[in-house]
Amino acid sequence: MVPFSRRLLWFWLLPLWIGAAAVLAVSAQEPAQEAPGESATAKLALVQSSMCEKVENLAPVRPAIAFSVSVGQVYCFSAFEPVPQPTLIYHRWYHRDELSTQTRLRLYPPKWSTYSVIQLRETDKGAWRVEITDQDGRVFGVLRFSITD
Amino acid sequence: MNKFLTFLSTVRWQDLVDIVINSYILFRVYVLFQGTNAFRVLVGITSLWILQEVAASMGLILTSWAVRGITAAAAIIIIVVFRNEIRSVLQVRNLKAFLWGSPRREQQAPVEVIVDSIYQLGKKRIGALIVFPGKEDLAEVVHGGIQWDGTVSREMLYSIFWPKNPVHDGAIIIRDNRVAEVGVLLPLSQRQDLPSYYGTRHRAAAGLAERTDALIVAVSEERGRVTVAQGNFIKPVAQPEELSHLLKKHLNFQDRINGHEHKRETLKLILAGVTSLLVMTGIWFGFTRSQDTVIALNVPIEYVNRPPIYEIMDTSVDEIRLQLYGSSALIKSLRAGQVQLKIDLSKATEGRNVFPITQENIILPPGIFLNKVQPTSIEVILDVPVTKELPVQVDWTGKLPEHLMLVSAAVTPESLKVIGGGKILEKAGTIYTTPVRLDHLTKSGTVTASIVLTPPSLKLASGSSDRVTIHFRVQERPKADRR
Repeated sequence: MVPFSRRLLWFWLLPLWIGAAAVLAVSAQEPAQEAPGESATAKLALVQSSMCEKVENLAPVRPAIAFSVSVGQVYCFSAFEPVPQPTLIYHRWYHRDELSTQTRLRLYPPKWSTYSVIQLRETDKGAWRVEITDQDGRVFGVLRFSITD
Repeated sequence: MNKFLTFLSTVRWQDLVDIVINSYILFRVYVLFQGTNAFRVLVGITSLWILQEVAASMGLILTSWAVRGITAAAAIIIIVVFRNEIRSVLQVRNLKAFLWGSPRREQQAPVEVIVDSIYQLGKKRIGALIVFPGKEDLAEVVHGGIQWDGTVSREMLYSIFWPKNPVHDGAIIIRDNRVAEVGVLLPLSQRQDLPSYYGTRHRAAAGLAERTDALIVAVSEERGRVTVAQGNFIKPVAQPEELSHLLKKHLNFQDRINGHEHKRETLKLILAGVTSLLVMTGIWFGFTRSQDTVIALNVPIEYVNRPPIYEIMDTSVDEIRLQLYGSSALIKSLRAGQVQLKIDLSKATEGRNVFPITQENIILPPGIFLNKVQPTSIEVILDVPVTKELPVQVDWTGKLPEHLMLVSAAVTPESLKVIGGGKILEKAGTIYTTPVRLDHLTKSGTVTASIVLTPPSLKLASGSSDRVTIHFRVQERPKADRR
């Protein structure tokens, strides 16, 4: 297995500061009655996800399901709303059915967009899928694509 | 001596039965065919075959090839030329006669009546031609017979050969105590050494005798002389006693044949039996006991007694390489399927099982022995079969034209039910299609593709199609982005 650290370009913490006041308001309305963990994660929802050639301005650019290896890198973009509390999610990249790499990403309330990316090599050609999961393995979505000539 | 005893101890009861059965077959072939022309030719062919083997062992290349060709041709010729003889031997009345029937087949012809009638015909200067068939079929040699099927009597014989009778000119065939056919035309002999006073009747008698094992009696119309033809001889028989003796011998009236001849016949049969036994024993030992040839075979593995709750999910090898030895004749005649390798799974458990491959797993034909096994053990993974629904993913391949992007694809059906080992399916997350090429895609559309199940032990559940339809959408890449 290739070490994760060698394979990844980490792009962390691309926050969408949309309405800091709203954050406060939500926090106030839905206070700490709910325990952190399962109940909080249960409300977490994936609202957008796609494979793309680039992420610009917090949005996927040229989403597709087949990427030439010559593109150099491929992104997995995901957007969550609501995000009730700071949460960890994972982007698990599978080449065929073998786990190739996984990226741990942190989400912040009230909504958050984030992505992971891998560099492409000749040996990466073939069918891929990215599973977007939480810490407990709950799958929010699966994205399927191919790396081609 | 010890070596010989050790050797004898390796002989199984099956081997003895083998030798006895084949010796008996050889003996019966001799008994059924002896005295026929086919048998003589068969002996000739066997001699040719022995000559060819000797020539080959001495390194006489051209001679052995030539003799082999002649033997092959002769074997075909014997079947064609002697088909009637072979048929008559094989068309015996019943299985018992075929397997056990005495070669001294007795015919119940009233010899004395016939002999007396023949000489009476001679005295009255009435010509006659009477055929007593041997073992061979006459159908292909004689022509024009009329079915008669009458019991032999003096009166009948006189009336048949009475000059005013329409059928008096032909021959009659006597089988047992019946006149089977009358007015039969016999082939004429082409021999030049026959006496000039022999007429057509005698030439016909000689002609049939040359071609078959029948005995023919001719009565001369002019001189009233009785002549007997058998094989290549034809001679006048003046005394009724002599004709009676010849007929009895031909018809195998053994109780009336003298004791000396009977003993000779019995001795001949005993000798034939012993010879058959010795020949077959020699052939058997030559075939099975020489161990001069080694052969390597790849044998598929057969799994038996698999517990029904398990499926074989994987095996370390599909074939086992066996090194076998035995006589070259047996090794050469070895066919696929004669060597079997069976693994008993009755005590196998879920997961990985290792089975050593021993002599007990291998079934070999008699006379073939095991020398080496490669590999010496086999791993078999058993698992409980489960059904799992897996999503189908398209395996896009090739290169999409530069100006296009493949933006989406929908597969119908989206998922398929797959049956396989629980452990394998636990890890399986997707079913893939066969590679679908992108090179020729120019616009959105639909394609179909087959499903590839990996590993091959997986199977689609009944009712699941092994083809899927893919609706895909392509769009132009923004001009600014084109590379």
